[in-house]
Amino acid sequence: MANSDLIAPVSGSVWKIECTVGQTVTEGDVIMILESMKMEIPVEATASGTLESLTVGEGDTVEEDAVLGVIAS
Amino acid sequence: MTTQKPIPANEATAGDPLTQREVRALAMGGADKLRRRGEQGLLNARQRVDRLIDPGSFRESGLLGVSSVIEADRDRTPADGKVTGYAKIAGRHVAVVSNDFTVKGASSSLTNMKKISHVKRTATERGMPIVWLGESSGARMPDNMGSRGMGTLLGNDPSQYIRDRRTPWASAVLGQCFGSSAWYACLSDFTVMRKGAVLAVASHGLASLAIGQTIEPEDLGGWKLHLEKTGMVDRVVDTDEEALAEIRTFLSYLPSHCNEAPPKAEAPDETSEPILAARERMATIVPENRRQGYDVRKVIEAVADPGSFFEFKPKFGRVASTGLARMGGRSVGFVANNPMFKAGALDVDACEKITRFVVMCDSFNIPIILLVDTPGFVIGVEGERRKAPGKIMNFMAAIQLCTVPKLSVIMRKSYGQAYLNMGGGRNSDEVAAWPSAEVSFMDPAYSAQVVTWGRESSDAEREALQAEMERDSSVYGLAEINAVQTVLRPEHTRAYLLEMLDIHTSRMSGGVGQHRMATWPTTY
Repeated sequence: MANSDLIAPVSGSVWKIECTVGQTVTEGDVIMILESMKMEIPVEATASGTLESLTVGEGDTVEEDAVLGVIAS
Repeated sequence: MTTQKPIPANEATAGDPLTQREVRALAMGGADKLRRRGEQGLLNARQRVDRLIDPGSFRESGLLGVSSVIEADRDRTPADGKVTGYAKIAGRHVAVVSNDFTVKGASSSLTNMKKISHVKRTATERGMPIVWLGESSGARMPDNMGSRGMGTLLGNDPSQYIRDRRTPWASAVLGQCFGSSAWYACLSDFTVMRKGAVLAVASHGLASLAIGQTIEPEDLGGWKLHLEKTGMVDRVVDTDEEALAEIRTFLSYLPSHCNEAPPKAEAPDETSEPILAARERMATIVPENRRQGYDVRKVIEAVADPGSFFEFKPKFGRVASTGLARMGGRSVGFVANNPMFKAGALDVDACEKITRFVVMCDSFNIPIILLVDTPGFVIGVEGERRKAPGKIMNFMAAIQLCTVPKLSVIMRKSYGQAYLNMGGGRNSDEVAAWPSAEVSFMDPAYSAQVVTWGRESSDAEREALQAEMERDSSVYGLAEINAVQTVLRPEHTRAYLLEMLDIHTSRMSGGVGQHRMATWPTTY
């Protein structure tokens, strides 16, 4: 088992979460969408596996490079 | 050790003066210092040369040079602290300067400056790239002290800091880089930095001594500062070995000198699986919804030869992505807006990054491909304080002075002055656009507000105005008046660009441009 962190590519707010914890995901799947500078910025799965945890919820403000969740693969 | 020329070690020659001097020179700063470096995982100056070049290709120049100012230093300055010579990288000749920090901190001296001048002059006049392996402490003390010291040691070479881009320069920042190693890193076309190294005018120790500023070396000139804030390094790596490999990669895209076309690698098979898969991806990478962000580097990777994209300054001015790549085996430079950051709106850092990149491509005959998706330039106080109008014009002038082929593809938004900077109109040799392209002077959401300023207008009126303006921004308006020559589907972009690169080959000059920016600065 290896863990892969989901990292915020930009600072912004969490607009929509597209997956639930425990769900099986494939690398490249959109896990959540951030809103930054009036643009929707997708956060994609960095590995295939199970979405182990999410550390943010919709509406939360996140800083760039923050860990948003973990995928176990 | 391939940097050593074979030294006869038999009894008959062991005592002769040449052998003794060669052995002393190759011993560098002594076994203890070399061992300590090794224990820290650092390569020494000669190992660095070995790892950089084709095995056995080093022809050293100036091996027996030593200090010529302080008599007592003559026996303590093997090769005078800077290893210089000629070698081959991927079969092509280069000149190399590798700083030996174990000899007086590779400080600059009368003799080793002559060594540098010699190989620099040869490389420039004979058409070879120069590789600078940086790790030096600055001017040698006390040699430079006093008016006589200054007058004797410095100012003897009126071309020392001229950067006329006749041949490519690549630098690695591999330790403390003050003085000459810092200057040559800044003057280079490509600079890679190892984490833990420092690039600054002077050491943190001197900063503390002279101005009472207590500061950590990393904060003064560490990799994060240069990667993210100053943009003075192009890439950052973890080890010396990786830095040397990056220099080889960089040079593989470049010609040996400005008067030849870049080398051509083998073209990939257009029917191969990676190319076909990338073509399929192209249809969906850029979302049609103009509010949705995406990483333009995925577009570049899907358009370019697989695995060939070599990005420059990935963490600086990120609203634009720049880098070298290959198309059908030919070297090209990509300049692309990146809507992942600030919606792709161009800021001051991005202007600097693009200007510098365009100047390099133009100086070394590398065609430029512009991928456009930007709402315009970032406006506001911060940019104005940092001279945004001047930076925008530097960028614009660079685009207009270019004589290498320029191909522009408008993928989505292209607005206002940024339309021109990103090669709109006659600022490219060919302009293509995807059906999703929208071009206008200003984003319709704002322009509807601007034209109704100062008079009563209802929301409905403004919305109707915006809808009309959005319709007028469509790509077909441009195509009808030949402001774009081709409207193409995203998945056809690679095939189109390959053909256009062929069509726009500079046949009359053998692929060599006019280099009208060859003496432009390397930092803005």
